[in-house]
Amino acid sequence: MVVVLLPSLLATEAGGKGRFELDAATPDEALKALPIRDLIFDEHGNLRPLVNVYVNRAQVDSLDGRLENGDEIRLVAAVAGGHS
Amino acid sequence: MGVAVLVGTRKGLFVLTSDDQRTDWSLEGPHLVGWEVFHAMRDPRTGTLHAATNHMVYGATTHRSTDLGETWDRAEGIGLPEDSGLTWEKSWHVEPGHADQPETLWLGGTPGALFRSDDGGGSWTPVQSLVGHSTRGEWNPGAGGMCCHSIQVDPSDPNRLYVAISAAGAFRSDDGGETWEPKNSGVAADFFPDDPFPEVGQCVHKLLVHPEKPERLWQQNHCGVYRSDDRGDNWERLEGNGLPSGFGFPIALDPADPDAAYVIPEVGAENRVTPDGRLGVYRTRDSGASWELLTEGLPQKAWAAVKREGMSFDRLDPVGVYLGTQGGSVFATPDAGETWVEAARFLPEILSVEAAEW
Repeated sequence: MVVVLLPSLLATEAGGKGRFELDAATPDEALKALPIRDLIFDEHGNLRPLVNVYVNRAQVDSLDGRLENGDEIRLVAAVAGGHS
Repeated sequence: MGVAVLVGTRKGLFVLTSDDQRTDWSLEGPHLVGWEVFHAMRDPRTGTLHAATNHMVYGATTHRSTDLGETWDRAEGIGLPEDSGLTWEKSWHVEPGHADQPETLWLGGTPGALFRSDDGGGSWTPVQSLVGHSTRGEWNPGAGGMCCHSIQVDPSDPNRLYVAISAAGAFRSDDGGETWEPKNSGVAADFFPDDPFPEVGQCVHKLLVHPEKPERLWQQNHCGVYRSDDRGDNWERLEGNGLPSGFGFPIALDPADPDAAYVIPEVGAENRVTPDGRLGVYRTRDSGASWELLTEGLPQKAWAAVKREGMSFDRLDPVGVYLGTQGGSVFATPDAGETWVEAARFLPEILSVEAAEW
């Protein structure tokens, strides 16, 4: 079992739910099980470029790493300075 | 019966409501907090609200509400086919289908793509004939991206559709979207000095079909204001007769008068503000032969800008016309442009206004 934490807008789009507990072997598997997966990935399955993924508070470049029971995945919108 | 103006902004959707007098307005919102609302409309066939929504991080989608904005559902999985090499970037405009097809809607956006929904906006299927159009290689993005911003359905024929894309031009389908023919004859592309009247590549800023005289089309283009009286087969340029500039973005019509139109000229492509330091709306009532400046109630010290979706009109008589500025003001006229009131101010940057029965 891993935990996925969503930022507020994604939580709103997920029906007000910002925390998901689910079984997944990789971050990719975990994120693609979410009801808001289309907001995280484009239609070709690519992670949107301004979505940052953290596993246990460390940013990961690959979504294919192995998850352990109790791991925490946090999605963070990239800082986008200059855009009001 | 009253009127609503759905105001899409850089930061959510606002709703202005009034009675049929259209002089006193109430504001509510924002809805869809966090989303850029490029366009929103109330489907006159079902009463459902639909919004073309975008987020700089989370991409492009649509939302709909069957309870006047209390709750919203998002369409999931909007996308272009892998083999197209294209990725859905921005949702620009959502348009009701023909009155005989109450579950059909159309969605346009970037990159020059059109989607069809046959389940009331729950899901969207790309229109392959436009995605793979034979002229796509000659299309180019305007400053706002290669956006399919205008979608019009001929009220007299559910199979006749129009789209306009910047900068690809106008296209018409006579078979419900199976095939599309460029309809840009007589429309200038002055930014191509070597070929100023190409088959495609024109920068349409907004295209409308007159709802009661559907063979008549109007467009505000990067290079002039135009009218067609033969469903887009030929276009006539309408400036040099009272308009200070042919450059502008939105255009509005009067359902009761096919000879009337409203535009908001800007100085030009290199200086995109209203001319003469005022916010002026120009109206024609003779099919574009002449234009008159309307100013009563509009700010006379203003360097405003109104985006392509930033003007709309209602179905009442006299017609009400509505415009929203990038500075966050909404102006409304209840009398076909004779007088205007500021219905709201200090909203976020306004991307669209759309009138609806309420």
